[in-house]
This record gives sequence, structure tokens and C-alpha cells, in this order.
Amino acid sequence: MANATATTVETKPWGGGRSPFNVSYGKMMMWFFLLSDAFTFGAFLISYGTKRFFSDVWPDPNHVFHAFPFMGHADLPLLFVSLMTFILIMSSVTMVLAVHAGHYGDRNGVIKWMLWTIVGGICFLACQAWEWTHLAHLTGGLWGTFTDVNTPAAMYEGFYNTSSEAYMAADAASITQATHSFYNFFFTITGFHGFHVLSGVAFLILILINTVNGTYDNRGHYEMVEKVGLYWHFVDLVWVFVFTCFYLL
Amino acid sequence: MSHNHNDNDPQALYEGDQSKLYSGVMSHHDDIKSSESKKQIGRIWKVFWILLVVTVVEVVMGMFFSSAMPRGVLNTLFLLLTLFKAGYIVAVFMHLGDEFKGFIITVLIPLTLFVWFILAFLADGGFWLKMNNTFGGVN
Repeated sequence: MANATATTVETKPWGGGRSPFNVSYGKMMMWFFLLSDAFTFGAFLISYGTKRFFSDVWPDPNHVFHAFPFMGHADLPLLFVSLMTFILIMSSVTMVLAVHAGHYGDRNGVIKWMLWTIVGGICFLACQAWEWTHLAHLTGGLWGTFTDVNTPAAMYEGFYNTSSEAYMAADAASITQATHSFYNFFFTITGFHGFHVLSGVAFLILILINTVNGTYDNRGHYEMVEKVGLYWHFVDLVWVFVFTCFYLL
Repeated sequence: MSHNHNDNDPQALYEGDQSKLYSGVMSHHDDIKSSESKKQIGRIWKVFWILLVVTVVEVVMGMFFSSAMPRGVLNTLFLLLTLFKAGYIVAVFMHLGDEFKGFIITVLIPLTLFVWFILAFLADGGFWLKMNNTFGGVN
């Protein structure tokens, strides 16, 4: 009888007694959470795209994002955001190296690479804080700015390719409306992403403390590092799309 | 089957017996200095260089070719390169490529909803702009 039961379990993946996907409950639920989070970010980015398609004019990223810390008024389009992207990709690499060390039960390796990942996350947040402060300083606010049609053109024309046909044909109302929408979407979406990075750093610190305390050595596996790693890579993945939608397209 | 499962051990109840769960890259290994481990680390760094090079290409295109190329061609290239990067992050960094095929499909199929989602909403935005600019054909 015992033999017969064993054979049934071997041949039917969904017959019970084993994980059909060879994935633990926790890791699978992390994937499903990330799937739902992908739809949240997707909804944000698609509503941004819809609003943009609905507008005659739209700020030009090469004109909006051209400043770099300590470089004064030098015109360096996209350079700072490239640095932010590089930092996030780098922290993704150190994270996957921590996961790799976890697969080998190498506690010191996990600690080393998780520390680098936390450093990367904090650097990214610092860059974002600078960029937000810079934009707020430039135009006097974040959300809810450019609501007044009589806003002086000097406040927004630096964001546009002023020699384009679309800009020259547009009236002040549609230009201030587009700038207003751009600002609202930019701060909402990068803010939501930044909050993910912030909570990711918090999770990384918690997992690092557990690693240092030897919790995962006692448990016999480092799957928590893998799960928080999934979250961290997802944050990087979202940034790849935010980068494309706000800075390139 | 009870030999895999010890009700008196809270650790086992918390995560189950992982040694029965994983295989391949994600299973438990012992020697971080083994050639197998070095191969995996090499794969990770290879993906890093791919992501870096693609990002640099994107930025150069954004900086220098934004007026030289038709906007539609440029945007299509940006989107293809973005999907290319996303594929590497998900497949290698998130190890989805190392999971069972059934699990990969389970994760990816819901995402195909985005195809409809994007097409429908952008078409709607474009239509609204047209209606707004032509006053719905009233004059």
C-alpha cells in the first residue's frame, strides 16, 4: 500500500503531497503580490500615457531633466537620471549576488552584498530627493502647481522645445494644463516608486539583522533573502519602465 | 508522507522542508568557490553589462537622436529596448527563468492583459484629443 501511494504522488503533480511548481508558499505569494503591484504601476503609467495622448503639447524630458548637482546651470540632459538608473541596476546586481550567496549558505557573503544593496538604495533615494527639491525650487512647488492660466511663460517655457510647431500653435491654457498634468503624474509615479524603494531598504535592513543573528543558518535556508530580493528586483524593473516613460519617450 | 513534516518543529512548519522543494540553481549548495558557483556569478555580471550597455544606448539615443529620427521609430526602439532589459531582469535576476515552466506561464499570462490595457487607453486618449480639437465635428 505504501508503495502504491508513493507512485501516485510521483506521477501526479497536482495530486497533493508536493509542490507542483517546486516553489514554497511564501515565494509564490511574493510573485503574486508583485504581479498585483505591476498592475498598480501599469495603471499609473497608462493613465499618464492617456493624459499625454490627450494633450496637444507635452514637456520635453531633455529640457526638464538637464541639471546635475553642483554643476550650476550647465545643460546636461538625462545625465543625472542615467546615474540614478546605474545606481539601481548596480544595487540589483549586489542583491542577486546576496541571493546567490544565500543559496550556498555563505552568511558573510550575504551580509556583504546586502550591505552594498542597502547603500545603493539609500544613494538612489538621495538622488531622488535632490531631483524633487531641484524641480520644486525651480517652479515653486510639486503637486498642484501650474493651475493658473496667467502663469508667466518664463516659469514653464524652459520645459518645452519652444521651436516645435506644436508648442507655437498651443495657447497658454493648454500649455499650463499640460505642465500641471506632467508635474502631478511625475511626482505621483516617481513618489510611489520611491516609497517602494524606501520600504525595500527597510525590508533589506530587517533581513540583514536576521542574517547577522544567524536566523537563516538555524532555519537551514536563506529563502527570505530570495523573497526580499524578488521585491528589490521588481523595484528596479519598475524603474526601467518609469525611466522609459518619463525620461525617454 | 509524514516523515517530511514534523509538527513539533516550528521551523519546519514555517517554511516546510526546502530540501525537497528546489532543484538546479536554486537548490542548496555548499561550496561558494566551486566552478558551478563561479559560472552563476559570471552569468549575473554578464547581465549587468548587458543592462548597462542598453541603458547607455538609450540615453545616447535620447540625447542626440531625438530630433534626427522620426519620433515613432525612436519610441518603438525605446520600448523594445525596455522590454529587452525587463526580460533579463525577470529571467536572470528574479530567477524566473530557473523556475518550472508551469510557474513561468502562470506568472506571465496575466501580464498579457497589458496589451489590451495599453492599446485601449492610448487610443481613447488620442480620440479625446481629436474630439477636443475638432469640437466633435460641430463646426
